[in-house]
Amino acid sequence: MRFTGPRSGKALAALLALGAATGFQLRCAGPQRSAESVVETIQRRGALKVGVSTFEPWAMRDRNGELVGFEVDVATKLAADMGVSIEFVPTSWDGIIPALLAGKFDVIIGGMSIRPQRNLTINFTIPYAHSGMGIAANRELTADLVWPDGYDSEVVTLTCRRGASACNDAARLFPRASIRRFDDDIQAIQEVLNGNAHAILSAYPKPIEWAGQNPELLFLPTTGNLSQGDEAFGLRKGDPDALNFFSNWIRVNTTNGWLAERYDYWFKTTNWIDQVRPGSTPQQ
Amino acid sequence: MIPGSKRGRLGWIDAAVLAAIVTAVVAVAYRVDSVLEYRWDWSAIPNSLYRWDEETGRWVPNLLMQGFFTTIRLAVLSMIPAALFGAVFGVLRTAGRLFPRLLSRTYVELIRNIPPLVFIFIFYFFISSQIMPVLGVEDFVRRASPATLRSLELVFGPAALIPNVISGVICLAMFQGAYMTEIVRAGIQSIPKTQTEAGLSIGLSRWELWRRVILPQALRRVIPPLAGQFITLVKDSSILSLISIQELTFLAMETAVSTTRVFEVWITVAGLYFCLCYMLSLAFDRLEKSAAAART
Repeated sequence: MRFTGPRSGKALAALLALGAATGFQLRCAGPQRSAESVVETIQRRGALKVGVSTFEPWAMRDRNGELVGFEVDVATKLAADMGVSIEFVPTSWDGIIPALLAGKFDVIIGGMSIRPQRNLTINFTIPYAHSGMGIAANRELTADLVWPDGYDSEVVTLTCRRGASACNDAARLFPRASIRRFDDDIQAIQEVLNGNAHAILSAYPKPIEWAGQNPELLFLPTTGNLSQGDEAFGLRKGDPDALNFFSNWIRVNTTNGWLAERYDYWFKTTNWIDQVRPGSTPQQ
Repeated sequence: MIPGSKRGRLGWIDAAVLAAIVTAVVAVAYRVDSVLEYRWDWSAIPNSLYRWDEETGRWVPNLLMQGFFTTIRLAVLSMIPAALFGAVFGVLRTAGRLFPRLLSRTYVELIRNIPPLVFIFIFYFFISSQIMPVLGVEDFVRRASPATLRSLELVFGPAALIPNVISGVICLAMFQGAYMTEIVRAGIQSIPKTQTEAGLSIGLSRWELWRRVILPQALRRVIPPLAGQFITLVKDSSILSLISIQELTFLAMETAVSTTRVFEVWITVAGLYFCLCYMLSLAFDRLEKSAAAART
């Protein structure tokens, strides 16, 4: 029943020493990280670690469980151009920024659009893709709604994937409609198919693909872009060398047309679908 | 069965309850089928479990089974440190001195009163990201010789995932250890104080008292709740999917998104978890029975 005494005193001292050591470590970690550019770290390690989040057609699992998609092509070429091997770190979308900050990987190449709020936490390169936002609607529920004004009404329910730009677009373009946010697109589209929601907002090529799969249930009120995104690589702050390197890699591959060619393959055709899902017929 | 005993037969109340359950299940199934606009397609599932590898000409585990094995690895690997934390802090909880009790109580209360998900987020992003570079796991794996790597892979799974699995194990062990601490404490405190007094009065030392009187009895008593906690640990490992540990739930999400067969994938995953946990329950039942048999 004593707090003091020779033995507990030593234990307490040891604990304090451990605490001080950890604190010291924490303080050291900061400056060290920014002193060396992540570009050097990658070269020293001989591998580029890229954080990706599964999202069609940016990054998906093919039938062998391997990652494929637009993002995967981009990251693979980036690593090849740097002369290092590529390592993907599949990460859930909600945790991808904290994971970058915690140093779980070097760069986010995850179809992340540039947003000022995000930019306060991480750095963005110049955009390497411009994805378009589309909408797919339930035929029966939206039969007497006029596009686009009819969709901006209290009776309309829209769905979207939480944390994606779709939810922001839905709130901006249809302020009167109620918006339901889901963890992933599959749950969100299911609500529209079930007739519990009027329409879903999602980035192309998803709306085209869903309408193609369920022509009797779904249709596209518009084939235009509701909004256009600027997707960029995400980097930890305080590393101008890496920002410069990655941005210029994007600039070079935009100019030579490589990015546009890959983008068209993954977003404007569905020729890749057989690689990912058996039984779906590709459509042009 | 005793002749004339009613225990083996179905009474009319049992039949009525059974009929009600069957009706409810059928009704729910019917409702789901009519309300849910969903085309069932199980064709993608077998390939997500095992796939035929053209190169090696063998069946190899695909994402779901890879995740299943990682889940088993996580459960077994985190059980060891969790049991260790449980044993050490559990004994400290019953200590006479104030400081050990304060220390273990702080650990238990801190973790028990934070939701596991919140704890894992905080622990993973703030603490584990400081511990892991200090441990140098990643550099070690990268520089390991092929022989070391093979034995590492045997324990931790594919080399690329070793740091990932280790952070998962640390997180899981930290919070499961707190629950095990409480089980161990209850086990020790369930041994009446009179036994301690009796032991000391016949001249046993403190150590002998623990080894010969308290621990054997306490251990026998904590086996059933510890078994239950181990099964909880297996199920709770699914929370690790949120910090992107590549276990069954995380890879199921990936598979569900890629195949777009979301319900089929989750039902399969539920089946896998059930098989694993039910097998564990059966194993622990046997363990309990043999422990009881060994005693008599």
